[in-house]
Amino acid sequence: MASSCYGDALIRRIKEKASKWIYRNPVPGPDGTHLNHHLPKSGLRKKDADAVVVAVTSDAVFDPGADEGDAFRVGLAFPLLQALQRVNERLLEQNPSESLLFDIILITTSSQRQQQSSQIMRSTRHHGLEVGRFCFSSEDNFLESLLENNVQLFLSTDRNETSQASQRGVLSALLDQRAASSPSEQLRVLFCGDTVVQPNAAGPMSTIQHDAQSFPAQLGKMRQRFGMLDSPLVIILMVSQGGRDSCSSALQVLRSCGVGVDEAYCLAGAPQSPILSLLHPHFLLSDDFGELEE
Amino acid sequence: MVKMSVEPVQVMSGQVKELRVAPSSNGDSRGSWEGKEEFDGGSLGVTAKPKQVTGRRARKVEGGVFFPKPENAVTVAVSSRVLFRTEREQKVFEQKGVEEYLRYQIEHETEPFAPGPAFAFVKALEAVNTRLRELYPQSEELFDIVLVTYNHAHVGIRLINTINHHNLFIERFCMTGGSSPIGYLKAWHTNLYLSADADKVREALAEGIAAATMFMPEKMTEVSESQLRVAFDGDAVLFSDESERIFKAHGLDKFFEHERENEDTLLDHGPLKGFLEALGKLQKKFYAKGQRLNCPIRTFLVTARSAASSGIRALKTLRAWGLEIDEALFLAGAPKGPMLEKIRPHIYFDDQMFHVEGAAEMGTIAAHVPYGVAQHQQATKK
Repeated sequence: MASSCYGDALIRRIKEKASKWIYRNPVPGPDGTHLNHHLPKSGLRKKDADAVVVAVTSDAVFDPGADEGDAFRVGLAFPLLQALQRVNERLLEQNPSESLLFDIILITTSSQRQQQSSQIMRSTRHHGLEVGRFCFSSEDNFLESLLENNVQLFLSTDRNETSQASQRGVLSALLDQRAASSPSEQLRVLFCGDTVVQPNAAGPMSTIQHDAQSFPAQLGKMRQRFGMLDSPLVIILMVSQGGRDSCSSALQVLRSCGVGVDEAYCLAGAPQSPILSLLHPHFLLSDDFGELEE
Repeated sequence: MVKMSVEPVQVMSGQVKELRVAPSSNGDSRGSWEGKEEFDGGSLGVTAKPKQVTGRRARKVEGGVFFPKPENAVTVAVSSRVLFRTEREQKVFEQKGVEEYLRYQIEHETEPFAPGPAFAFVKALEAVNTRLRELYPQSEELFDIVLVTYNHAHVGIRLINTINHHNLFIERFCMTGGSSPIGYLKAWHTNLYLSADADKVREALAEGIAAATMFMPEKMTEVSESQLRVAFDGDAVLFSDESERIFKAHGLDKFFEHERENEDTLLDHGPLKGFLEALGKLQKKFYAKGQRLNCPIRTFLVTARSAASSGIRALKTLRAWGLEIDEALFLAGAPKGPMLEKIRPHIYFDDQMFHVEGAAEMGTIAAHVPYGVAQHQQATKK
């Protein structure tokens, strides 16, 4: 089944706060709702370009095993979505016409989930999640959906999926149990500073210096909208193998690309898990992702 | 006050064959680490770019472990305010707030900070490491120095520049950007935490981590570059504060009576006992290689207890714990300042601010251990 991406009626709630969201394929929803009747597309193209498109798999957002009656139970990415929403809320509080916001896509990556579109949308509404768009794709075409939708960050619990996406040039991060215990009021993004640049894959350190519109660069811009204290977005650097020179380099590279780091941890070979368990990152961005110890 | 012997009595640990009188005439041997290159401290040629300090890497010591596992090493965590002098920056923070403070730090990023109260101590730890690596190149039983600060990472580059400038070997950091560093202390298996912030120190003590607050003295007398010298108060530092409680509640006579009656009962341990133990373990490694006479670690007990009476219980307790202390000075109530000035420790731990201040007045680097009954009272003369 070909993938179809379209927004959901609950987007109206976001629209009360901001009128940024546009839909690429304005198709009537399964229950016949017309989805973007109140937004002229043309006037918003420019602003849409500022949105930071983040795609999260449905298996990360909803617990694949369970379901409480009508709706799925929330999965480990739930605090992450709440934190992304919180950042948007705070950005809009400061500037109601803010255009640099997270545009959240919920994407399915298997034919099984692809068939469960209405249940997924219902679950999203049930849990009060503010998803910008849904993409009901299968394992065969989710990569195309990511590219078509200009996804800047892809988050999944499946290592295979993140690996594939990364090979296609989409910045990806693997979500794990740690994300479940991360805060819902503050988005904590961890950059891993030991860089091993893989030629084909996309990584934060390799892309950041070349692409001013990259996810890290935009994240840095977002961070600057807030002060030093009480920011809903916190950027963390961890250097696990290197020492202070690696740490200093990483801080300077990030700074030169507009990414100000809030917290920095330099391990010089010390075990990572005790430190990681205190950091509570929602996700980690690393050029050699997947090499971090569990 | 009961008049006991006015002369402070020095008691040497039982194993040393020679009887020494002057505390300064020991083990100041020149080890091979003194051949290392000295960084030109006068030049401020430190730029924002990470400096490849080739001079630092070309240390004379060939092999050895440089990045020990935290659980195997004696981990000393220091905050940026005790490692370096940051008074000016502190003032900016207090007067103008955090945004201006960070802006100031970034503006002055290439200006290294001056050494703070813990600087000489950290240098001495490195000197011991160099000797340890010579004798035990495979061993991870070394001092591991970690910078643990709740400073924001925006200050990170300036801190790293400063570490480079002073040629310090610090490769591990936690800059927590405002959140409590206590969890990280545990994650690093910290054996000793030094900070300028008494609240953080109290938190660490409550978690069972040896910790002390350091202050910048007006003057710092010169200390040895080749031998680490650490001095401890007895009650409420190495030992619990149980005896001090008796003294505070019931006076000196009751204190003596209590100590006499309980002479054979061990004192309970205090917050710094573990650190003395860690130092002792490293000392034994030198003794095992025939380095007792020029051991680069020397420990001192400086207590107001008196040798003839209450001091006995202290010594018996140390002996029962299997801890050797190189020199025990029983002052019988005499002021500690002059004795400390003779000892010249890199750090002196005391639970009473009165003694800490007295020591600092004479140029000794003293650290306050906010533990025990003395904290609930005004600092009074003992």
